[in-house]
Amino acid sequence: MKKIETVCEKIFRLAGRAQCEVMAELRNGALTRFADNVISQNVASSSVNFSVRLLDSGRMAKINFNQADDASLGRAVSSGLEILKKQKKDPALLPLAKPRPIPAGKNLYFRETAELDPVYRAGKAAELAKACRKSGQISCGTFENGSSELVIANNLGVFARHRETYAIHSVTVRDKDGFGWAEYPAYDVNEIPFARLNETARAKAARGRSPKEIKPGRYTVVLEPQASADLLTYLAVYGFGGQIYNEGRSFVCGKLGKKTLSSLLSMEDNALDGASPGMPFDYEGQPRTKVTLVENGVLKSVVHDRKTAKAAKTASTGHALPQPSYMGPFPLNLAVKPGQGSLEDLIKGTERGILVTQFHYTNLLKPQTVEMTGMTRNGTFMIENGKITFPIKNMRFTQSAAEAFSNVEAVSGETTPVQAWGPMACPSFRLKNFNFSSSTKF
Amino acid sequence: MFKLASKAIEVAHKYKADFGDIRIIEERRQNLGVKNGELNGLTDQITLGYGIRVLYKGAWGFASGSQMTGRAIADTTLKAIAIAKASRLLMAGRVRLAHEPAYTDFWQTPFLKDPFAVPVETKLALLFKIDAVLRKNKKIRATASEMRFIRERQWHMTTDGSRIEQVQLSSGASFSATAVEKGDVQTRAYPCTHGGQTLAGGWEVIEAMNMQDHAERVRDEAVALLSAPLCPAGVKDLIISGNQLALQIHESVGHASELDRVLGYEESYAGSSFATTEKLGKFRYGSPIVNLVADATLPGGLATAGYDDDAVRAQRWHIIKDGVLTGYMTNREFCGKIGRERSWGSCRADGYSNIPITRICNLSLMPGNTALEQLVGEVRDGIMMENNMSWSIDQKRLNFQFGCEIGWLIKNGKRTKLVKNPTYQGITPEFWGSCDAIADHSEWRLWGVANCGKGQPGQTAMMCHGSSPARFRKVKIGVRG
Repeated sequence: MKKIETVCEKIFRLAGRAQCEVMAELRNGALTRFADNVISQNVASSSVNFSVRLLDSGRMAKINFNQADDASLGRAVSSGLEILKKQKKDPALLPLAKPRPIPAGKNLYFRETAELDPVYRAGKAAELAKACRKSGQISCGTFENGSSELVIANNLGVFARHRETYAIHSVTVRDKDGFGWAEYPAYDVNEIPFARLNETARAKAARGRSPKEIKPGRYTVVLEPQASADLLTYLAVYGFGGQIYNEGRSFVCGKLGKKTLSSLLSMEDNALDGASPGMPFDYEGQPRTKVTLVENGVLKSVVHDRKTAKAAKTASTGHALPQPSYMGPFPLNLAVKPGQGSLEDLIKGTERGILVTQFHYTNLLKPQTVEMTGMTRNGTFMIENGKITFPIKNMRFTQSAAEAFSNVEAVSGETTPVQAWGPMACPSFRLKNFNFSSSTKF
Repeated sequence: MFKLASKAIEVAHKYKADFGDIRIIEERRQNLGVKNGELNGLTDQITLGYGIRVLYKGAWGFASGSQMTGRAIADTTLKAIAIAKASRLLMAGRVRLAHEPAYTDFWQTPFLKDPFAVPVETKLALLFKIDAVLRKNKKIRATASEMRFIRERQWHMTTDGSRIEQVQLSSGASFSATAVEKGDVQTRAYPCTHGGQTLAGGWEVIEAMNMQDHAERVRDEAVALLSAPLCPAGVKDLIISGNQLALQIHESVGHASELDRVLGYEESYAGSSFATTEKLGKFRYGSPIVNLVADATLPGGLATAGYDDDAVRAQRWHIIKDGVLTGYMTNREFCGKIGRERSWGSCRADGYSNIPITRICNLSLMPGNTALEQLVGEVRDGIMMENNMSWSIDQKRLNFQFGCEIGWLIKNGKRTKLVKNPTYQGITPEFWGSCDAIADHSEWRLWGVANCGKGQPGQTAMMCHGSSPARFRKVKIGVRG
């Protein structure tokens, strides 16, 4: 692969007088998948993709391609320039961004993580599978690792580069009709507590055997970090995105500066130096800024790209997705402020409630209240008088996330990294009056 | 391209792989979008790359790349072999593939007009024209209209001796209007939500939608929904139409019948299935009028091709026959586990960079013999729902809840007033068991699903579901938080 800088220069030359933005992404990834205590899929991929945006006098075209030889570059850019000519002028089209200083951000690249080989991945799968085999349990899951490098450059002088690695250990254990799950995403493989994750999933599955059916209705719930994150992500994406806000479709509309959620909830988007770091610039090559979304239940700000910021007569917060973006900007590096105590403390403080490990297939019903539905999964338990008393069959919730996070009783004192729409740091929550609308048969 | 592809086959043979294949794929995509009166995207995409599978001493390895040289292909094949060797560290028994004859063939999607030859200005003019109609009401706060075209050319070569070239072409479009008033948000779309309608074929697919004829109605219905009453809660008879029935088929039968899920190989992510193998040929999945047929030969189907990505020739088979579970979606690896010597051929990959996995084929509900008027006329207290807005189903595909764009109450055999935010909930076999009438062939339409997600790493596949409106008795509706 030629140096990205060289390819960008060639593309800029071919673009001539048109404004030109290049997004180049190199990815190397590998994933070992296991099920029924054996490796079931084992894959690796390498790719390099270029996305070139051309603008000229209120006209725009975008060309994506993955071959960077001179002939392919020439064909791609000339076809883009040809498309430009066929459009009418759009006076609302923003010109490309000018360069602005980019903060350094955290180092998220770890060579050892990038270079883990299939034998290492197989070993991690085998550690769990062998333990499960011995105890009559069944393990399923994935271990994946890889690296990516992203460059955003334009011929107005923007040149931003970011690289990072990732490793994710995700395990599901089945013990007859009991299920348990644990997962840990990290930039550095050395941060992953493999043994603890395996043990958590195995113990939860063993404890989940012979679940009982309970009646749907309103319950106090203790949501573990992944379950909490699932709801909070919808709240963030459908509440605090600049475009959804500008169109009047967000629950945040008319409520900025007002206490709308529980005073125990504070949440920020912070790719720079927070608990869920990421790329320090957005997909227009503009600096990411830290944005407080909720502070002690008060709705503070929404995130913007240049387009939604212009419409809202404010400044971009550096949250652009690849342009043009259908849904506008989102907060993607969410960090929730921890409270006090542990998950066990949340359970101890529950007189009667339900512990939820994870939600499955969540979806939005009504954007204006972030009303959602979804199922519990992989470990749902009854809590009585501060103790887990018995496993329960999975239940469907139908519940406004905005209402749910107005009903916070307690937040745990430690956050866990989880995979949401982006990286997220999330504690466990205890919420009262959470609505389960139906149940299923397992 | 076959010359380049043969490098992978040579290396696989040299290392005495049990099986190996390479798919070289060139993909062209074009997406056009107009949003709120502005151009929201005009993207042309061309990618080229290859994915190589190797079954080595009974274990799988897969690697992909995009450097188009013989050397790079040979290196990627060696990488796949190294991965397969690692897979051998945790295996129960050797993977064996069901036999399939070797084919040398060319297949392509039939089409009338090449959508990539239709000028961009023609496409944009139509989208802007529709957008202008949609925005002619102040309560409409967001509009979107879009088109997309995909042509995938694949050269597939296997160590079995197959040498198959296929060109699949699809065209799709949609538009939507979102009305906002006093904190309420209502959206109406045409022909349907979630990216609209996509079918195999060329520009004629777009022409057949007659999009401009529906823009005014869609806009007015979105606004009308703002002042419509909420869907009542209770138990009522339900008639489902539009793409909602397609999604009901997709989620509660399609995914449930993927044999890899059934056998537990998707447990960690998408989930498993209640439709386990001991139920095959016995389990009452639905009422006796329910017949669901998988068909990789269906004209217009997004999963229609000459061969699947296991190099298995396209077939047509029942998943549910007269209400009983009779088949699964299979690949060559797992079909032996239900005693079949040959796969039904439903193994596909998303592009060059992903491994082929078991996928839902085109899966359609066969039409009944009831006129639509009679379907409605026989309902005393019911509701008709159209077009999906939200979907959710548990990991065994039993408990589902769907939200639709629009509903109409039915009283004493007549469709009456409009209701908003209609939802319904059920348990799969009980729900299909309550199906007591299906509209006749005159109402049967093919609906495309262009965004079906599955697998790790995540893959997207496309397929179609044909259906006529169907009636289900005593369904729980109006579920709310």
